[in-house]
Amino acid sequence: MEIFTENYFETGAIILFGIGFVTLMLHSNLIKKIIGMNIMDTAIFLFFISKGYVTNKEAPIVVDITKNPDSYINPVPSALMLTGIVVAVTTTAFALALTIKLYKHYNTIDLEKILEMREES
Amino acid sequence: MVKKMRKASAVFITLILIFVLLVGVKDLPEFGNINNPTNNILSQTYLENTVLETGSLNIVSGIILDYRALDTLMEATVLFSGLIVIMLLFKS
Amino acid sequence: MIKKDIILKEVGKIIIPLVQIFGIYIIVNGHLSSGGGFSGGTVLASSLIIMHLIYGEAYVEKNIKKETLIKFISISLIFYAVVKGYSFLSDVYNLPHPALGPVGKIFSAGFILYLNIVLGILVASIFYIIFSIFISKEV
Repeated sequence: MEIFTENYFETGAIILFGIGFVTLMLHSNLIKKIIGMNIMDTAIFLFFISKGYVTNKEAPIVVDITKNPDSYINPVPSALMLTGIVVAVTTTAFALALTIKLYKHYNTIDLEKILEMREES
Repeated sequence: MVKKMRKASAVFITLILIFVLLVGVKDLPEFGNINNPTNNILSQTYLENTVLETGSLNIVSGIILDYRALDTLMEATVLFSGLIVIMLLFKS
Repeated sequence: MIKKDIILKEVGKIIIPLVQIFGIYIIVNGHLSSGGGFSGGTVLASSLIIMHLIYGEAYVEKNIKKETLIKFISISLIFYAVVKGYSFLSDVYNLPHPALGPVGKIFSAGFILYLNIVLGILVASIFYIIFSIFISKEV
């Protein structure tokens, strides 16, 4: 059980994923579902970027050229997740645009009332 | 009554999913060890050759704009197509 | 109503140029310290959004039209693709390219500075146009 208090970044990331998933499924308001999806995305980024840390080494910005190139952390996971963050922003923007169109047509943003209105017509 | 059953089963399914994932976390290597499988010859090559070949002092900028610039081009395309989709939705 | 607007307008006249200079500084120092195209473009977009909220839509529409911004976006994307394709070929066939330069100056590191500037303009324009579409509910 010590591994959960030693690797606290990975444990915290998975608990955040669970919180985001529960937010996505429990509420019936559309905006809260979109917030839950965004929390799940952030948890995945935290899990992946924390794989690149090495103890007692510093950030990969070269201040002194004559330094040993073994004294920096792993730069590859940070460079790969920059693309993912931009894709998450685009997905959230698209979901919010669809919510605005739904509100203009049905005049409510409660998902269960929208499903009832669709069953009547 | 049906709503309460649905909400309780949602929390139950999430707890099972998180328990399965935490069993997977138990087998992870130690945090920050230098002998992890993720610190392989790729990161060593990037750290040694970036300043000489690209001339930039920021290693992450040198990676995403010189060695892996096609990924950044695809990311800019994703942003652009997201804008096109939103403009199509709101056309009057 | 009139008194609240006067405080916002007078504070905005001082703060908005400082935010824009900070955004341009983050974009241009992409290869020397942390920063780069994406974060600098976001800061620049937030300054345009604040200007829209304080001064109203007509004031921003008079100086920065939406058709010009859409042309900026298309030209930036084509420019990025062409410059990247040229820099792939310039290593094989010994074509001329910007100097790798003395390490630490601003005009160094080959094509990285120009690609950062192009990315910054692209990201700022896209975020401002998405915000303007959401708040007026029509294109």
